[in-house]
Amino acid sequence: MTEQMNDKDMLAAEYALGVLEGDDLARALSLLASDQDFAAEVTAWEMRLVGLNDDIDAVTPSAGAKAALNTRLFGAQKSGAWMSWLWPVATLAAVFVAAFLLISDLQQPAGGPLYTAEISSAEGDFRVIAVVDKTANEVILTKTLGGAPEGRVLQVWAHGPGEPAESVGLWTPGATTVRLALPPRIAAVNGVLTLGMSEEPQGGSVTGSPSGRVFGTVDIPGVVSAL
Amino acid sequence: MPRKRYIFPSWGELTATMATDLSHLENLIAKCALGDQKAFSALYDATSAKLLGVCIRVLSERAEAEDAMQEAFVKVWNNANRYQVTGHSPMTWLITIARNTAIDRLRAKKGHDDLSTVEERIAAPGRSPEQSAIAASEAQRIMGCLDELEGDKREAVIGAYLDGQRYKDLAARFDVPLNTMRTWLRRGLTSLQECMAR
Repeated sequence: MTEQMNDKDMLAAEYALGVLEGDDLARALSLLASDQDFAAEVTAWEMRLVGLNDDIDAVTPSAGAKAALNTRLFGAQKSGAWMSWLWPVATLAAVFVAAFLLISDLQQPAGGPLYTAEISSAEGDFRVIAVVDKTANEVILTKTLGGAPEGRVLQVWAHGPGEPAESVGLWTPGATTVRLALPPRIAAVNGVLTLGMSEEPQGGSVTGSPSGRVFGTVDIPGVVSAL
Repeated sequence: MPRKRYIFPSWGELTATMATDLSHLENLIAKCALGDQKAFSALYDATSAKLLGVCIRVLSERAEAEDAMQEAFVKVWNNANRYQVTGHSPMTWLITIARNTAIDRLRAKKGHDDLSTVEERIAAPGRSPEQSAIAASEAQRIMGCLDELEGDKREAVIGAYLDGQRYKDLAARFDVPLNTMRTWLRRGLTSLQECMAR
């Protein structure tokens, strides 16, 4: 590999790097469409250069980006546009109901912060209301739409800023609401707490990370560890 | 203070457990080629944050970068059947599409030629698993090899790859004639290739 690169290999490297224009770029594009060896050399350079992206931080896109992309590719979702105003209202109502039930269930004044959030799929086929109770370091989740496919289970995930996702627990099959204790690392999160839900094989993901479809995630900002 | 954001599964996990996720992502791309919208959704969830990061690096502006990222995913969906024949690893394929799309947007404002060729790209000869492993280990060496380059050459390579600068832009930036810039960068690329193949 130490011999001088020939003219064509150099063109492949220059194309992959992105410095070409005009006739040189046109020649590279024409070779890319017709010359297998050239295409393979471009791929080899793209593989070499891709490491330059390693230091670039991932940035979670806005929630609207995925919906816009889905609309762009697959057209409008099933629920008609005239219904769309109903969702925020229904969701808000569900959050209040869940919070109210939680508070009355605790049979005590809320001694610590409560955080409410909704996890929903961009496809509009899955919704869960989540209430994080920092007094008890629990999360209470209520399904309002959808669920795991036949033979699969729902798994709840969470992580703090800059941490990998950790399993919070599995959804009890058939239950509408579950109450799960937050694992110590999740209970200790200060700042943005991210919750997510996926569907997994019976017994939960064996990889330690979501392995099936991830329905959605939600960031809950300003969480304070009540330890 | 910039803070690293993670998604499900996180980018950190993607690189840490590469073997599993590699085939997982390949599987998702293959399903996209079959028109599986759920697979596309999972692919988006697993990779969109990284691709958005790449687009932001090129375009700076968040809203424009998000548009570019969406456009990249449209190309991914429409060309998922082409993935197998290009000989890329899944993340390289995705990142290269996102980066080229972002650079084309950057240049579109100035009316320049496009880099993107997701559709019009001939099938490259398939690589053996051994060749893929070599390519993957080479990719991890790029940072170290860049450090071996002289300062200006290193800056030129980074400027080209991450800022979308062409020979002409680089020549202006370093205030040298175009041919000098070309010679510089070609030497830099040759050294890089030698270093990475070591």
